[in-house]
Amino acid sequence: MKGNFKIKDDGKTISNLDSKLDENNKLIFKKNDDEKEISAEEFEDFIVKSGAAGSFMIFRSEKKETEMGIDEL
Amino acid sequence: MTDEIEQVMQKVYYEKLYDNWVSNFALNLKNIWEEDSGNELIPKNISKASIVIGKGPSIKEHNHLELLAKSEFKGNIICCDGALISALKSGITPEKFPNFYVVCIEARQGLKKYFDDDLVRKFGKEIKGIFSVVADPEAIDIARKAGIQIHWMHALFDYEEGKKSFNQISAMMVRAKNHNNGLPGLQTGGNVGTTSWFFGWRILKSEVVALIGINHGWNENDSWEIITSHGFEVEPPKLDHNSSSFKKLFPKIYNPEFNCNCILDPIFLYYSKALKEFISRTPQNITTINATEGGVIFGEKIHCMKFSTFLEKY
Repeated sequence: MKGNFKIKDDGKTISNLDSKLDENNKLIFKKNDDEKEISAEEFEDFIVKSGAAGSFMIFRSEKKETEMGIDEL
Repeated sequence: MTDEIEQVMQKVYYEKLYDNWVSNFALNLKNIWEEDSGNELIPKNISKASIVIGKGPSIKEHNHLELLAKSEFKGNIICCDGALISALKSGITPEKFPNFYVVCIEARQGLKKYFDDDLVRKFGKEIKGIFSVVADPEAIDIARKAGIQIHWMHALFDYEEGKKSFNQISAMMVRAKNHNNGLPGLQTGGNVGTTSWFFGWRILKSEVVALIGINHGWNENDSWEIITSHGFEVEPPKLDHNSSSFKKLFPKIYNPEFNCNCILDPIFLYYSKALKEFISRTPQNITTINATEGGVIFGEKIHCMKFSTFLEKY
């Protein structure tokens, strides 16, 4: 099974497509000393980079039926 | 976590796309006034089943386009913009499937590649397109020149904010000339696939809408490099894979309907939760079929079956 990749010291990713996933299907990351769990800012940064290039946001309304569309707007 | 995703998404989309929405709408308005409302596509009677075609990798894995091209399916073909050319190349054309539609909602530039093709120009006149009023004008122009019949809709996003919302201001401007009854406002669910699904049952009035190429998940044997970069769209995040955040962002899901595992990323989390919720809220007479043979679109009111079974049945 294809899968893992490693992060080099300079922070760039390199493919290692010939390696196999371990039995837990886990990534191999090189941990940095100052590594910590994702913060809200990091999460937002991920979303911006991966999701904001296109598409839309979900429409929410207090009138729940409006969320399913409006026949004539 | 998913609610947090919706909040973050709302913030970043406004920041990154609002200016595009406004300028695209301004550039589109003259054509909107002169061209048809999406409501012109509403059939007089309940229409046949619809198949929504996305561009996800499951479509190649299971040869779904080839299966469809060889089938005698008589219903509606709804192509997401990114799937149009590959569908035509596979022999899924309006000559064979006369009820042929394409959906395009996005404001970002670069979508013209989805319409700039000899096959689109060959079959364009027989293709009915539905475009959001904020979609990329350049892409729409290429589609228009290819002969695609342009129909317009509002992509809902801030209607809730009242008369000063962009949705309501733009709707008033559209109604100012020719479109006295306005345009349909569709929930996008964040992406063109979910919009196409809404289009199938709300506008085309199909009681059965099947999905192929839209499963909002990665396969277990996709590389982590692909998964964490959302298909090479970004540099993967530098996260400890053992952290709870990583597991929340990239959860592995077992799909009991197709007996397979798949892995989500934050974008697919955002899309899939909404689509599943909206499917669960459809009227009683609407049936949604996941025929992708994988992914995370399963649950309440979602029927899962192999695409070949769907084609035999409908």
